[in-house]
Amino acid sequence: MSTLHVLSHSPFADSRLSSCLRVLGHEDAILLCGDATYAVTASTAARQALDAKADSLKLFILEEDAKARNLVLPDWVSRVDYPGFVELSVQYDKVNTWL
Amino acid sequence: MAKSLLIISRQSPWSGPSAREALDIALAGGAFDLPLGMLFLDDGVLQLLPSQSASLLQQKDITANLQALSMFGVEDLFACHTSLAERGMLPNELSIEPLHVLRDQEIAALIDRYDQVITL
Amino acid sequence: MKFAIALYSPAHAPSSRRALLFARAVLAAGHEIVRLFFYQDGVHSASANIVTPQDELDVPAQWRDFVTNNQLDGVVCIAAALRRGVLNGEEAERYSRPAANLYAPWELSGLGQLHDSVQAADRLICFGGP
Repeated sequence: MSTLHVLSHSPFADSRLSSCLRVLGHEDAILLCGDATYAVTASTAARQALDAKADSLKLFILEEDAKARNLVLPDWVSRVDYPGFVELSVQYDKVNTWL
Repeated sequence: MAKSLLIISRQSPWSGPSAREALDIALAGGAFDLPLGMLFLDDGVLQLLPSQSASLLQQKDITANLQALSMFGVEDLFACHTSLAERGMLPNELSIEPLHVLRDQEIAALIDRYDQVITL
Repeated sequence: MKFAIALYSPAHAPSSRRALLFARAVLAAGHEIVRLFFYQDGVHSASANIVTPQDELDVPAQWRDFVTNNQLDGVVCIAAALRRGVLNGEEAERYSRPAANLYAPWELSGLGQLHDSVQAADRLICFGGP
């Protein structure tokens, strides 16, 4: 079983990303959207935490949020649009949004 | 076979209706005899502290409803060990039982076991 | 595939628009939406009383049109709605409140509808927060 975790809270003000990374399964993926996209910002603790999992974690980012914020993305992050988001929700067994 | 649902409750009982509204999902599902589990994570573990006096804040006490979970057939109750430790809480001093305290990787396995999950 | 989409945030939250765009993409991909269930602050996304500035996106109107045009089942949780002052005519009368702000296509119902959609759907996608 594999879960797509969806995060939208800023990683700087909030513990959802760190809690998510703690309980992440080996087959799981993360989709960053909203202010959670800031987690890819270089030289931040959030980015370091993600980089530490780069070998095993499939990381996706909602393209419109990354573009709106003019973020520079690491090459191991995959951008998705809404059709891509729907495809991910089909591909993974379930979706866990950290509300 | 009915699909199973894991409800992950992450908010303190004092921060607004979220803890209550997570519990309501569990109780409603229990009333329909659905296979449910409930995990208390992050500030959600604060719901498990004993000797709380919600009435002093003119609020309803969530503890009685948490204790009612098993009466509604929701017996798979879990708490995150790390979240408890971060908040200075001991696994043997919680207000509801039986409750399984899980390590982080056990939580990953727990989420895997359920068909659907709601984290609020 | 069959999708159930649950929304927990009000219309002014970015996640409400995000849920709407996702829902549109679900239908565009040929999937089915068994139900939209609005819970917690999501009940506000169904309010008829939101007044959006003219130069901003009218998210409640877009949700309303999406549900109407696609003949979807749009359910607002009654307990969450009452607590937040989102009432249809019947509830406004029942509780002697001065006004109703929930109209078609939205229906008020209980959490049983959320559970029913979890059982009926292949995927449950929740949206909320920012």
